[in-house]
Amino acid sequence: MENKRLRIYFERTGGFAGIGLKTSVDIADITSEEAQELRKMLEGADFFNLPSKIVSPSPQPDRFQYKLKVEEEGRQHTVTISEEAMPAGLNPMVRWLMVRVRKGEDD
Amino acid sequence: MNTKRIIPICSIIPPHMLEEIAKHGEPDQKDWAMHNLSVLGFLRGRRHTLGFFPAAASVGHKYRTVNDNKNKGGDPPTGVLVRKEGGPKSKDRAVNEAYDGAGATYDLYKDIYERNSIDDKGMAIVSFVHYDKDFDNAFWDGSEMVYGDGDGRIFQRFTGCIDVIGHELTHGVTQHEANLAYNNQPGALNESMSDVFGSLVKQRALNQSSEKADWLIGAGLFTPKINGQALRSMKAPGTAYNDKLIGKDPQPANMKNYVHTTQDNGGVHINSGIPNHAFYLTAMEIGGNAWEKAGKIWYVALRDRLRSNSGFKRAASSTISVAKELFGDGSKEHKAVQNAWKAVGVIG
Repeated sequence: MENKRLRIYFERTGGFAGIGLKTSVDIADITSEEAQELRKMLEGADFFNLPSKIVSPSPQPDRFQYKLKVEEEGRQHTVTISEEAMPAGLNPMVRWLMVRVRKGEDD
Repeated sequence: MNTKRIIPICSIIPPHMLEEIAKHGEPDQKDWAMHNLSVLGFLRGRRHTLGFFPAAASVGHKYRTVNDNKNKGGDPPTGVLVRKEGGPKSKDRAVNEAYDGAGATYDLYKDIYERNSIDDKGMAIVSFVHYDKDFDNAFWDGSEMVYGDGDGRIFQRFTGCIDVIGHELTHGVTQHEANLAYNNQPGALNESMSDVFGSLVKQRALNQSSEKADWLIGAGLFTPKINGQALRSMKAPGTAYNDKLIGKDPQPANMKNYVHTTQDNGGVHINSGIPNHAFYLTAMEIGGNAWEKAGKIWYVALRDRLRSNSGFKRAASSTISVAKELFGDGSKEHKAVQNAWKAVGVIG
């Protein structure tokens, strides 16, 4: 289980600036502590059972949109989320990914 | 999604149950549950505001409050009241910037367009500063203003630009008037209206004529590390920034370069360049202070003529007919609006 391949593609668009940011994370490229944390966050979000679109019926102006694609051995899932409809369980992973974007740790 | 399945907002299903359905239900049940959760989220925001400041919807005159979120985030935001109407200046510049920017926006709408605040009923303007950590955005959440301090890498604090404040508060005005849908052309028009009046708030505060104004949106928002003068240029869309980290300003100035995309709600921050440039051309051809005539034409169109599904052509026909009614058939102003929409390729 812990040795399974895992790759995450993350993208943020919108906001007042309308400037997109993105990053990707391969579990092979991060420390085992980080990998453990990441798997825990994915579980906490129940990611593979989330609907593919978590968007508000009438989007608020200048809010962010996020797109998360997770590839694991044997399965993959993509979720699009509006900031104002962000499920609490998914928030830690989005924050974790944003920290990586800001550090410029894109591979 | 089958719309018949969407139950009303006064749902008796508690949010925790909706969350379970959203996680474990069949695909259509998940979508339904998520829809209801997000609708409930909006309602929570509104209820919060009414509870937080009971008179928010009906003070009837200029009334501003600024709250410090202390980097706590939250949806709706929480905060400590740090400045209210007529109160002394704060030592915190972000507080004063939010207060002054809300004041300049209120004054433009009141003095020039005879509008009493966001809802035209004297609604209090409630702002939250220092929102969340590294938060690189500012937004109007439907009932209050929220400002981040920027991430320090790409963006500085968002209260630093008076046009950003005018832009965001104008989203509130639009919500109470044309209520332009926030996607594709109506969404780009929504964005453009915010850029237009955001720029006018700045031009009037600086007492700049059309010729003197820089017509930039968010000048000074980027950190010095970014190669760009601003986020958008109404004068020359597509030229505001060109940087190795954030790329190049993607805005078109003409319909022939309209960008079709699913990102950013259909490119609302991209294609706004087209109506933005039409406003700039109108203001330049009329001359003088842009907020007086060109601004008046756009404001009346936003208030009385545009609807939630209006696109660029409708914006063109509305502003042209308003200009004709306000200034006369064949007047300089009427011709300026026609010429502008032709120049950006919206009308033939």
